[in-house]
Amino acid sequence: MPPMIEQSFMKALFHGVIAEDMIFPYPELPSDDRENTAMILDSVRRYFAANVDAAKIDREHAIPPEVMDGLKSLGLFGLQIPTDHDGIGLSASAYARVMQEVGGLDGSIAVTLGAHQSIGLKGILLFGTPEQKRKYLPKLATGEWTAAFALTEPSAGSDAAAIKTRAELSADGSHYVLNGAKIWITNGGFADVFTVFARTSSMEEGAKPKITAFIVERGMGVKNGPNEHKLGIRGSSTTELFFDDVKVPKENVLGEVGRGFKVAMEVLNSGRLGLASGSLGMCEVLLKLALERVNERRAFGRAIGEFGLIKDKVSAMLAQTYALESMTYLTAGIVDGKVSDYSLESAICKVFGSETLWYVVNDTLQIAAGIGYMQDYPYERMMRDARINLIFEGTNEILRCFIALSGMQGPGKALSDVVKAMREPIKGFGLLSDFAVRKARSVLGRERLTRAHPLLSREAVIFEEFTGELASNTELVLRKHGKEIAEMQFTQKRIAEMSIDLFAIASCIARTTRAIERRGEEGARREIDLTSIFTTAAQKRLRQNVHDFSRNDDELRKAVASRAYTDRAYPFDIV
Amino acid sequence: MKILVPLKRVADPDNANKVKIPAAGDKIETTGLEWKPNPFDEYALEAALRLTENGQTPKVRAGEVVVVTFGPKETEQTLRAALATGADRAIRIDTTDDKLDGDLVARALAALIEKEKPDVVVMGKQAVDGDSNQVGQILAELLDWPMATFAATIKEEAGALVVSREVDGGVATMRVKLPAIVTVDLRIVAPTSVYSTKTAATFKYNDGVRFAALPAIMAAKKKLLVEIKLADLAADQALKVEYKAFQAPPARKAGIKVKDVTELVTRLKNEAKVL
Ligand SMILES: Cc1cc2nc3c(=O)[nH]c(=O)nc-3n(C[C@H](O)[C@H](O)[C@H](O)COP(=O)(O)OP(=O)(O)OC[C@H]3O[C@@H](n4cnc5c(N)ncnc54)[C@H](O)[C@@H]3O)c2cc1C
Repeated sequence: MPPMIEQSFMKALFHGVIAEDMIFPYPELPSDDRENTAMILDSVRRYFAANVDAAKIDREHAIPPEVMDGLKSLGLFGLQIPTDHDGIGLSASAYARVMQEVGGLDGSIAVTLGAHQSIGLKGILLFGTPEQKRKYLPKLATGEWTAAFALTEPSAGSDAAAIKTRAELSADGSHYVLNGAKIWITNGGFADVFTVFARTSSMEEGAKPKITAFIVERGMGVKNGPNEHKLGIRGSSTTELFFDDVKVPKENVLGEVGRGFKVAMEVLNSGRLGLASGSLGMCEVLLKLALERVNERRAFGRAIGEFGLIKDKVSAMLAQTYALESMTYLTAGIVDGKVSDYSLESAICKVFGSETLWYVVNDTLQIAAGIGYMQDYPYERMMRDARINLIFEGTNEILRCFIALSGMQGPGKALSDVVKAMREPIKGFGLLSDFAVRKARSVLGRERLTRAHPLLSREAVIFEEFTGELASNTELVLRKHGKEIAEMQFTQKRIAEMSIDLFAIASCIARTTRAIERRGEEGARREIDLTSIFTTAAQKRLRQNVHDFSRNDDELRKAVASRAYTDRAYPFDIV
Repeated sequence: MKILVPLKRVADPDNANKVKIPAAGDKIETTGLEWKPNPFDEYALEAALRLTENGQTPKVRAGEVVVVTFGPKETEQTLRAALATGADRAIRIDTTDDKLDGDLVARALAALIEKEKPDVVVMGKQAVDGDSNQVGQILAELLDWPMATFAATIKEEAGALVVSREVDGGVATMRVKLPAIVTVDLRIVAPTSVYSTKTAATFKYNDGVRFAALPAIMAAKKKLLVEIKLADLAADQALKVEYKAFQAPPARKAGIKVKDVTELVTRLKNEAKVL
């Protein structure tokens, strides 16, 4: 294996390096964990079957208090909190699997549980001092206290660094005084503990703000507005939060003063994996609904499942869901393998997961057709519940930019180092020759995916080919545009789309290889076929994206949009 | 009170990989099947847990529930699940399903009971795969213990259990002195079916079997699970029941749609000949 350039499979891929040892063998739950997870899932299924009515939660815009209590005593509020803090201590993979189940059973509950532990208390897990952990985690684990994550403000959504909530250190230095407001905070109506982000430097246009994270208890003076009325996940509580001279002891600073942005980003990196697994769970339930329907519903004297256009939808949904499942548990395995940089992978999971779900819910509803549109059936509710995933924890647009720019950072740095090295040829010799070696390799032949099973060689070759394209186009656009790339979102989007498809293909190949090794070709037929379908579809997109780097109508589109902004309306009317 | 509960795993009937029979028809293909506990055994465990607690405070255990299963290593999952639900200790008797029949299971259990000396054996009335419905009865015979089958309710008294079963036209109630064998029917998990001497007569259970909270699942790992060789319990492992052939039920024929009630009645009369 070439020397590891990056501690991330996807970041290495931007250099054209296929760090296959990071994804082979495809990870799996240790047997102990698998047995526990199976039992946990069994309890979750039984509890939900007996106590949870998703349609009613949606209709009444609330999770009944006795259900909340039931979820707490079941232990669902402390899934990833270590056992020595009275939690269940699940690995990232087991946690993802449980959230997958819950996501399929009820969207509102999944979002409530996710806001509590995927993001609400995650900061304390990742950055808390031993005292903070001792004080908060045991009560959060049992659900005696619940948590929320409070970042967004009226004038700071995607641009989280623009938050205005202020935290002022008291004269005696013993506490901070928080003033400001947050909006759309999940669990805002009842949470006891908030991870709050506030500015600890003055507001200066253009200046880089200093943001600090705080653990704020409701009792310190946090007030909330009424629950918002929402499109979906209606049983979850989404409210404004108000901070009016809220005094927070300095012991409640989470992480370092001024490093709050890092806290927020790390928390969201891991939270996104939870969203992907919840999306996966919904896809699975939708597929079940679709597969029942295609057998039952008859038209023109046949079950609708016999029509080609229905088979087309079903096979595509299966392939896409398989890719989502494969990348979700690959990423979870990477997290459990203690690889610390999985920010690209989890962002990809979130984008791909939420869009796969949107696509699956749309096609399932289309298969159900008329009944799909009726409130007596679950389809329309699931469609409404699904929609949020493309918006929160970083919109999919923001994440596409993030995937592209963060991925290109390594090659960009390498390039500028090379430019520097060329100016100082002797000092930079080592660097130059290293770069030359990599160049030579990418010219002479592409990086190989040697551990893919031979039955998947077609898919492996496609993966290798477009890995080469990703790396060479990254280098090309960086050389051509330099820093300007930060403003080139059309290009960023293409880079991001390619990364997403490549990670999906790699995940399918790694997982299907394991399946073939375990169960042979026939035993792994399903996996092989779905990998083939997914890769073929992805290949078309990849080709298109590569093509579009050089031949596109980006400038025309920009001009048309700008003109429309002055028109302020669709400009035609036939009357 | 000390209670022994034998558990069996059965192929999950809801699972997509349905039971398959190879062309030779000499066995049932078990690879790839998904398993779950025999439902009547889960009811038995629930009854045993109710007998060893005050229903009001189920976390405080009053007595001991020992679960036992026969099977390969994987069947320990069934035992772990029972431990997570509240059983105190587990025993796996190492063997495979195709080497067992009801008689051998009963003989091995009898030998185990000699060692364990439980006050009661509570077990499912039958396993839903083989539907033999005989282990409890053979076991009572071997031990020469009193037996109550198809229990719908159990009430503990000092040194005895009052057990009722539903029969045609009513309920038959009997008192069995301990030690005894009780096999249970599905009614046993109704809210007012089982009362230990500690549980108030006014107390009502949730309907159905309890399931494990997550912390209990994690804690169950620390509970004792031992393996015993079948040979250590039954020297003679000859089977009395021999399975000659297996056959899948015939595929269902497609139904028909009738226009109205008159047609339905005519068809029931003339074609189905049930009227
Ligand atoms: C139900 C719900 C629950 C929520 N829960 C929480 C919570 O618990 N905690 C919390 O802190 N927040 C929460 N949020 C807020 C959520 O994270 C934000 O809505 C999200 O980050 C987007 O911000 P915005 O809505 O202000 O959109 P904006 O930032 O105003 O974006 C508007 C549009 O512009 C696009 N856009 C913005 N910037 C760029 C750019 N640089 N390049 C390209 N496109 C861009 C966006 O993708 C979007 O399409 C929640 C929101 C909802 C709806």
